[in-house]
Amino acid sequence: MNDRIARQISFFAPAAVMSAWATVMFHTIASGHINRLLSPMFRNYVLLAAILLVVLSGLYLLLYQPDSETAPAVAPTGRLRQFGRWLMLLVPLVAASVLSPTALSSTTAGLRGLDSTAGVTPMPSWNAASQKSAQDALAADPNQPVPVEVTDLITLSRSSEQIAAFEGRKVRTVGLFVAQPGSGPKLVRWIMWCCAADAIPASVELGGNTSGDWKDTQWLEIVGRAHFPSTLGHVVPRIDVESITPTQEPDEPYLSP
Amino acid sequence: MFFAAFDLPSAPASAGISWPDVALSFFAIVLEGAPFLLLGAIISGLVDVFLPAGVIKDWLPRSKTQGVFAAIGAGLIFPLCECGAMPIVQRLIRKGVLPAVATTYMLAAPGLNPLAMFSTFLAFRNQDPWLMVVLRFGFSFLVLLFLGFWLVRLRPDQMLRAETLTGPVRIKPEMTPNPGLVLTPRPGQSLGGLQQFTGAVIRDFTGVLLFLVIGAAAAALFSTGFNRGLLAPVGQNLILGPLAGILLAQLLCLCSTTDAFIIAAFAPFSVPAKIAFLVAGPLIDLKLYWLYRSAFQARFVHALWLRALAATFLLTLLYSLKP
Repeated sequence: MNDRIARQISFFAPAAVMSAWATVMFHTIASGHINRLLSPMFRNYVLLAAILLVVLSGLYLLLYQPDSETAPAVAPTGRLRQFGRWLMLLVPLVAASVLSPTALSSTTAGLRGLDSTAGVTPMPSWNAASQKSAQDALAADPNQPVPVEVTDLITLSRSSEQIAAFEGRKVRTVGLFVAQPGSGPKLVRWIMWCCAADAIPASVELGGNTSGDWKDTQWLEIVGRAHFPSTLGHVVPRIDVESITPTQEPDEPYLSP
Repeated sequence: MFFAAFDLPSAPASAGISWPDVALSFFAIVLEGAPFLLLGAIISGLVDVFLPAGVIKDWLPRSKTQGVFAAIGAGLIFPLCECGAMPIVQRLIRKGVLPAVATTYMLAAPGLNPLAMFSTFLAFRNQDPWLMVVLRFGFSFLVLLFLGFWLVRLRPDQMLRAETLTGPVRIKPEMTPNPGLVLTPRPGQSLGGLQQFTGAVIRDFTGVLLFLVIGAAAAALFSTGFNRGLLAPVGQNLILGPLAGILLAQLLCLCSTTDAFIIAAFAPFSVPAKIAFLVAGPLIDLKLYWLYRSAFQARFVHALWLRALAATFLLTLLYSLKP
């Protein structure tokens, strides 16, 4: 009887595991959590893979059948090892899908270079056409805040002409609030190339009145004046805060070049 | 100069590790890798059903030496990511391709393919891009030649797991992901094309997926918990710089089309350190170690790891120490 059950489990395991992977993939896409995991280019691949896994599960159940009773049984230790392998395919994935947070923490930001701006790449909105984007921003009403990303300010900080043009300009930006011991508060956006595992933080310093009951990595909208102070030749952008408003996580929490 | 090479500033203190972030990184890596692994398994299944072994053998050069060059050349032309390569390479070996040739292709495709070179150019567009492309390509090519000519001297049974050579049918049932999948063609019937294809895809996908899961766990742990700033003080060092680049590549486990963007942004590293990172990473890292273990013996993978990293280090060290 036990052997029969074991044969049944052994037969259904591949379909169960593939279906579980497909379910996790579909759920991750439907819930929008995939935006926190993969860059846009890879998301459709996950959807396609989920569909194919469902099809493969169906084909498997249609085309194959459990071991016949006359086939030699696998030894109990071998059976355990086999079940262990299937569990290894199932448990870590499901656990990670449940346990993975909505944003990478400030601890990881620190480990991946929170204080460095060297890794920041110009984003599409300010990339090749950065001069025009910057000119458009400057041409707008100076009393109205210019919408910028954290990365835009870092891009501007690499050009002395842009620094001169934007020094003191009113800006509005969104990011994660991070205040680590030993350094001032920062506004952070993550830059993602392929997936969250390779994401690196981009940050600007926050000056002025940043008081408030802000949680670590809480999403905030900041309005303030952009400044580009230089320390030993290294320019680190700073926003002197005029107002802080808690805000929702953007549809695209990471910036992708 | 030698002593100057070891004149190191102190490294910043390390911080703790965020376990939820490890889970997030792990989840991201497996979701990113699984579709490519599935694609590899599907191609492997198509090769199994539709490509007779004789045809592949006819395409390939008879000589092992020419085979190594052909494999490196194929790596240049046919883009294949690290995750997708494993099922295909295993299938090619079962179809009669020399293991040394198939393995050389597996090592060459991620690092030498045009996408990797293009992304290198883009990533370093403000930092002498042609130099970086030429150095990456040239050093990768030399390391692959070294590895290829080592591989052709090995017997298949010194490299491969038993089931890679024979397929799962002839080995102990408990060693296969699912013995029922293999042992139950309908009575009195041979496997139909669709049945054979489905079985091959599922077997290859689930077989290698296990190793992707293990590799992703290792990669997530180190890419999240390792303080990259610790390597910054040695990144400019003439001797330790290349070692730091190799070490970082082993820990971060990045795809070959992405790695250039990450390391281009790593300002503390010198050119030799960055090149060491770009050459070593696509050959082997913590994630690939586990993926390779799905097809190869542990002892062989250790020897491959040692040789790949040693060759990369020597080349980049020579470049680093050039007058």
